[in-house]
Amino acid sequence: MIKFSNVTLLYPQSTTTVIENLSFEIAEGEMVLVMGHTGSGKSSLLRLINGLVPHHTGGILAGEISVDGISTRTVRPGALSGIVGIVGQNPINAFVADTVEEEIAFGMESLSFPPEVMRKRVEEALDQVGLAQLRNRNIATLSGGEQQRVAIASALVMHPKVLVLDEPTSALDPIAAEEILSLLQRLVHDLSVTVIIAEHRLERVIGYVDRILLIEGDGESSLGIPEEVLRQSNLVPPLIKLSRALRLDEFGTNTREVRRSTEDLRKSLPDYSRAVTTHGDVIAQVSKVALSYGAKEALKGISLYLRSGEVTALMGRNGAGKSSLIKVITGLVAPTYGSVLIKEVSVAEIDPQERSMKIGYIPQEPGDILYLQSVNEECQRTDKNRKLEPGSTLKFVHRLLPTISKESHPRDLSEGERLTLVLAIVLVANPEIVILDEPTRGLDYEAKEKLTKLLRDAARAGTAILIATHDVELVAELADRTIFIADGEKVADGQTLDVLLASPAFAPQVAKVMSPRRWLTVGDVLAAQSQSDIS
Amino acid sequence: MWGFFIFLSCAVIATGSAFVALGAVGIAALFVKQRREEGPWGSSFKWSLIAGLYLLVIRLVAGILIGVPRPGTTLFTVPRIDLPSWLPGIRIGGAVTLERLSSSLQEGLIIASVIALFGAANSVTSPRKLLRTLPTSLYQVGVALTIATTVLPQLVSSISRIRSAQFLRNGQRVRISSIALPLLEESLNRAIHLAQSMESRGYGRSRVRTRYRPIPFRKVDSLYLSSGVAIALLAVFA
Repeated sequence: MIKFSNVTLLYPQSTTTVIENLSFEIAEGEMVLVMGHTGSGKSSLLRLINGLVPHHTGGILAGEISVDGISTRTVRPGALSGIVGIVGQNPINAFVADTVEEEIAFGMESLSFPPEVMRKRVEEALDQVGLAQLRNRNIATLSGGEQQRVAIASALVMHPKVLVLDEPTSALDPIAAEEILSLLQRLVHDLSVTVIIAEHRLERVIGYVDRILLIEGDGESSLGIPEEVLRQSNLVPPLIKLSRALRLDEFGTNTREVRRSTEDLRKSLPDYSRAVTTHGDVIAQVSKVALSYGAKEALKGISLYLRSGEVTALMGRNGAGKSSLIKVITGLVAPTYGSVLIKEVSVAEIDPQERSMKIGYIPQEPGDILYLQSVNEECQRTDKNRKLEPGSTLKFVHRLLPTISKESHPRDLSEGERLTLVLAIVLVANPEIVILDEPTRGLDYEAKEKLTKLLRDAARAGTAILIATHDVELVAELADRTIFIADGEKVADGQTLDVLLASPAFAPQVAKVMSPRRWLTVGDVLAAQSQSDIS
Repeated sequence: MWGFFIFLSCAVIATGSAFVALGAVGIAALFVKQRREEGPWGSSFKWSLIAGLYLLVIRLVAGILIGVPRPGTTLFTVPRIDLPSWLPGIRIGGAVTLERLSSSLQEGLIIASVIALFGAANSVTSPRKLLRTLPTSLYQVGVALTIATTVLPQLVSSISRIRSAQFLRNGQRVRISSIALPLLEESLNRAIHLAQSMESRGYGRSRVRTRYRPIPFRKVDSLYLSSGVAIALLAVFA
């Protein structure tokens, strides 16, 4: 269906090739995962399939790509619109029309389909993705998962043979992500659509895909069944990490397989529970906070506290009130009812400048707070604002990111580097509280591990940390306590272990394998094992 | 429908009579009650009525306070402020005559009713639907407008997001120049994504476009249109 022969891609002005001498073939009805480090060229590869690269983006392409027998070199992407459907990471950025039906019909209108055909196909597409009740809704009012389904429907309606998705679940909570992935799997089975999907959170997709295309940054690549590719890859989901750590002979890619091969282990290992971390005093006390925008109640009387030295995770579906809660804690918005006390002082009464030193906030897009021309300038600005000794921020940045050049432009940094830079800018002031909003979007496992270590260190130094996230595995590795909110109310608040194990949808992979034993991470299992070795 | 309302408001302006204006708003209200559309634009008649009322009050107050003296029965007198001599013919305060009051009331009513008629037209047919009835040659303009109406709110929300994030970093007032760079980056990215999505969905592939659920021109529509024309003509020439 898709055939790459000796494909090399480079962008002018760039010294490195994005893709080098890549050859592979994907058959009809396959579901293939493209994985690789951040910036390894996954997105470019996906866009090569329908010719957006290089027709739309520029760049020099060598080699031959053919999709369903058509060479992408000879036709514009529009000509392939009936063969390749493409769904981006943030579908809201790619919507043209305002209502669901109109959006789905847009591609067919462009190709002058007769109205009767359009009517029939829109109906089919709505049914395939289960959106029939929402057909007349304004797209902007839909949830993230629903928007993603609209994007898939508008690709499906063209009856494509290939569906290309770039990180379709990165913005979604675990439940919505699961729905999207099972929808894709059903499409593969029912319509034998070929699905190519790129994703960082391998634990979410690994159970669904037939083969994996691994691209390394240096131009190497391999395509094979998941077990084989993951055996040699250094980016692996927790499941594989577990198999490796336990030196299992077989590499299972789903919970069931690994459960089977760890049965003895589950029975034989002694009890172990991770030490409850020592934590300090309550730094922030949120009591009965309610917030409403007009008639809409975003928060309905939430009480919680943050303690120094403790990492607290804030979880919940999109729209559950996480962002509103963060706004209230940072003092950006005054609650309609209730109070937020930072060390016994109401957050509203602290002078904004002092407040910005006490509460560090890292937005979802770290780039939002970078606006100067070089890393050095950003650091100098921070020194000035924080009244620090000149050069101390830069020194701190170099400690976290030894390889960074101080002259480089913040926008040229990789996603992970940018996040670290922002984290350094915030942490250098020794804030009492650090709040992170969805920090792991677009990060690969290595970058995530670095982040985890950084935050652990900060917590050990006495900072209270609050992370709003959908990333269950991150929570399992990092958080001491987890707070779960739904519809503006607090549903659960307790030790991460208890909260995550209480709901099957939010249980991390290792916990699913090891259930009923109460272990969340590979580290937990290994600790239990070493305990058994001693005794 | 839009045509009908446009001609109706022409008639109101042409006759310049408060009774015609009130009558027209009454007709519009009937129409809206009968055939209002669900959706964000459905309540625009209500809002335009409120806006119209505000304007009416403002016009009345202005009419009482500021204006050219007009002879007639004096109702009451407002203390007069003397203006420099180089502003002849305009005065603030002074005697308020019945004539002045009624003329400003009438003008106010006409302005308010034109606004209300516009709102009624929006209520009955959303502007987006109007865009879709445009002939295909104007289609690209329509697409551009639709995109603009969806992108604008997104832009506003990104500005406020970036602003608050930067405020939390420094605790100082955020300058526009520091918002500009992240905003520009994001907007450009969004534009590229949109262009890629349109391109990969075949936009501009063929010169002719078809319409999903085309809106046919029905007999009733021509009835509305011609009655609107008739009313306007009557108002202009009678």
